[in-house]
Amino acid sequence: MGTQGLDFAEFYRKAKDECLLTVLVSVGDRDTAQDLVAEAFARAWASWRTVGRHPAPTAWVVRTALNLSISRWRRRRRELSVADPARIADQPAADPAAGGPVDPTVMTALLRLPERQRQVVALRLFLDLDTAGTAKVLGIAPGTVQAHLGRALAALRDDLVPIRKESRS
Amino acid sequence: MNDDELITVLREQRGTITMDTPVEQIIGRGRAVRSRRRLPAAALATAVLATAVLTAAAVTAAVTALPASHPAGTHDAKLAAWTVVRQPGDGIVVTVSELRDPAGLQSTLRADGVPASVTFTGQGNPACQGYPGTGTQSQRRLLLGSVATVRQGSPNVMTIYPAALPSGAGLAIAAAMQNYSGPRDSIELTVSLVQASPRCTGS
Repeated sequence: MGTQGLDFAEFYRKAKDECLLTVLVSVGDRDTAQDLVAEAFARAWASWRTVGRHPAPTAWVVRTALNLSISRWRRRRRELSVADPARIADQPAADPAAGGPVDPTVMTALLRLPERQRQVVALRLFLDLDTAGTAKVLGIAPGTVQAHLGRALAALRDDLVPIRKESRS
Repeated sequence: MNDDELITVLREQRGTITMDTPVEQIIGRGRAVRSRRRLPAAALATAVLATAVLTAAAVTAAVTALPASHPAGTHDAKLAAWTVVRQPGDGIVVTVSELRDPAGLQSTLRADGVPASVTFTGQGNPACQGYPGTGTQSQRRLLLGSVATVRQGSPNVMTIYPAALPSGAGLAIAAAMQNYSGPRDSIELTVSLVQASPRCTGS
């Protein structure tokens, strides 16, 4: 493995989990997300001279994975399977302090959102992209990003706040 | 709860998730991507020319499978039921244009070092058994992706990398006509890893 390989391996080690979480929130299925992210990283490796100099290589990988998801959907002419929120909600709750798996309550609420809103939440909040970066990844206007985020937060507030109140009482 | 508080809650409770695919597997898949991209048009033309003699038998087999309405003597290669073209390097490009002569395609692939079971009915060969790969479903998909890929936008074209086939494994290739709502139907290939055996992939 040459210098290029070492650089890529370091990038992969640092970015893979973050990319997987972002794509998982978008597509809703762990296996599908992992396959999309793996293919996106493989393409990043194949173009590492360019991607390695990209100002936001992590965003490049996520965008590639999301584009692949769209391509597959078009090819198969059917909806991507999205995990059943009820089934996820039955899983034991995560312990954030211990760095556990994705909180099922949060994931359930996210999966109830329309796909574009999920993508905006994942990129803005989990990948920490700014509005302009999110707009560039998704190919939409910055104002549209803010509108999607506003609607998503309103829906998530309705979903999550009552649950938090119940758990306190 | 205002937006900032909600965002904090979401970030705190998002948890963590681990991608367990080893980097070596990613790089192996990347090599396959790179080899597909770097094939220059000139090399492709040369390859097509150089392999024309080798594929003549395949084309002939396909032409003999043409519908009876085609008059004899109009042996246009575009009308071939399928073609098999070996690329420089490791790839073999298979294009299925008509659902005819699966046995001929199977024996051509075998001659190129690919144990394969080819069916044009949309159903796999019931004598075939799945290759008992290890690892998660995603890792098995990665393995398959390094052996064979269906071209994006052209579901009737696939590239096979025989060197990436695990020992004892073969490919089950199924082609079927897909009825889309678009302007015309199209042939779609699906592929999976199977255990090579006389009853499945032939001797």
